[in-house]
Amino acid sequence: MYTQNDKRCSLTELVAQIQNGDCLAIGGGLSWREPMAALRELVRQNIKDLKLVGSAHGIDVDLLCGAGSVAVSAESYVGFEQDFGMALNYRRACETGAVKVEDNCCYSLVQQLRAAIQGLPFMPIRSVQGTDFLKLHPEFKTMTCPFTGEQLVLVPALKPDVALIHAHYADEHGNLHIEGPPVADILFAKAAKKVLVTVEEVIPHDELAKKGVTIPYFYVTAICETPYGAHPTSCYPRYAYDREHTACYYQAAKQGKDSFHQNYLAPFVYGCEDHNAYLLAVGGKARLACLEQWDQSTEKWMQLYE
Amino acid sequence: MNKIQTCTLGEMMIYQIALSIEDGVLAFHGFGSPLVQLALHLAKRNHAPNLVLVAGATYGINPTPAFLTPTTNDFAMNRDAECHLTIEELFDLAASGRLGRMFLSGLQIDRWGNMNVTRLGNDERISLKLPGGGGGCNLSADAGHVTIWTAAHRTHADENGRRRYRLAKRCDFITSVGHRTADGLPRTAMPYRGTGPDCIVTDLGVFGFNQEGHAQLRALYPDTSVELIAESTEFDLPVAANLSTAALPEPDMIEFIRRLDPLKIHQRELSPADRGRFFQLSGA
Repeated sequence: MYTQNDKRCSLTELVAQIQNGDCLAIGGGLSWREPMAALRELVRQNIKDLKLVGSAHGIDVDLLCGAGSVAVSAESYVGFEQDFGMALNYRRACETGAVKVEDNCCYSLVQQLRAAIQGLPFMPIRSVQGTDFLKLHPEFKTMTCPFTGEQLVLVPALKPDVALIHAHYADEHGNLHIEGPPVADILFAKAAKKVLVTVEEVIPHDELAKKGVTIPYFYVTAICETPYGAHPTSCYPRYAYDREHTACYYQAAKQGKDSFHQNYLAPFVYGCEDHNAYLLAVGGKARLACLEQWDQSTEKWMQLYE
Repeated sequence: MNKIQTCTLGEMMIYQIALSIEDGVLAFHGFGSPLVQLALHLAKRNHAPNLVLVAGATYGINPTPAFLTPTTNDFAMNRDAECHLTIEELFDLAASGRLGRMFLSGLQIDRWGNMNVTRLGNDERISLKLPGGGGGCNLSADAGHVTIWTAAHRTHADENGRRRYRLAKRCDFITSVGHRTADGLPRTAMPYRGTGPDCIVTDLGVFGFNQEGHAQLRALYPDTSVELIAESTEFDLPVAANLSTAALPEPDMIEFIRRLDPLKIHQRELSPADRGRFFQLSGA
């Protein structure tokens, strides 16, 4: 239980709670609400040997693979869909063996988290048997159901060491409000040992209560107010996805590992002492205003994808 | 406005995928699947008004997208959704037998409809790490029916005459299940909820599955032939007795697709050469 009255801290202090070798569940999904500012800080703090668990991800996991922070990936998808295709840093790290591949599937993960949340050793599923995921996950067992005689797969409880989430609002106590799809964030928050959260804005409790509490405070270890903390992924309704910056990221990754260090990590991660310096590096207020104006017209919104 | 007289290959594939969708079921379009996303909206507008359309990634139900985006977890894709599921609710619906149809693809698809989107190579050495299957592994077992699609069926021989087949004899890794294991054990030996894939829509034609669970060519496109398809298919190619030419969409359906996808995101699934393929509509 995390019960302190004021959970606010700096981004540096927030991320310093992640240890080398931790099992890390990153919130959000694909190009939506990834805790990117915290991940950049994680890279700056040189935290290593992470085991990542999650559902469908993109630039977040790819960035950590490109920076050499990851030892094992148990994600179910890492890519840029039809936008840019494969996640190149992730792909390279898996193919060279730098990252051990332990791919998982969404429902297997959901059931593992639920087992942890419910204090059970495992949850049963019908699927996965007949696929090669059983080879990647020797910890999955099969048993004959004592009620029906069917063969089921048992997936063990999964308690990530840390859930790292970017939310829209928190109060000082750590109650969170997320707008739009929560993806797996609520499951992660309830299953993980520590829940570290960046938020667009810290607001008074009565305002937060009116919006609705998505995740209650006692799950939450610490919060840091980090406006635009999901950039370049989206945090609707506040700002849209920055495709232009993601294209720049992708081009740097495409030219190889060294190019990614020189042309992306150096200017946008290591060369930025903090999140504000990063926001200036990606175009400052003018660029951010452009992303905030997605709702002015469909044409403006569409232009962000051209 | 000029009357629409041709349809593109992408629009043909969208229509063929849409035809696999029954009215009144719950279906989920997943992510990284623009052809499927458009097919679900086309089906709902056309012959399946009672379809419970679940958007991939956002889990919104019956949205009216502002326009198709290249990233699925986007508010533009989720505009005016009637209600929302959570990730666990969608997969619970599948596990309890209430997801009527799912859509899956693979870099390798074998004769039984098993697919690989995890990796090429073997346990010791990964030669190509693919993005991974999302929830496809679970849903291939749980969804009532599965539509398989791929826009990369056509293969080209390299300078040594070798081809890398999309419709392949064996998958290097089984990410999602079809009708039989690679060793021939039937799907019915497993306690799955669903009955497996019932069609494969490709850039060359449409397959069904025969009683043994083997993919079987069901329809050609106006510019393809059995020989052409056999050349790009590594496994033996049974052909249905009533092999036909696939029906083309109506002009108003094509107009609907073009309106919903002004950025032509779905064409990114097609090879550059295939983006230039089109078919004359009858009566044009």
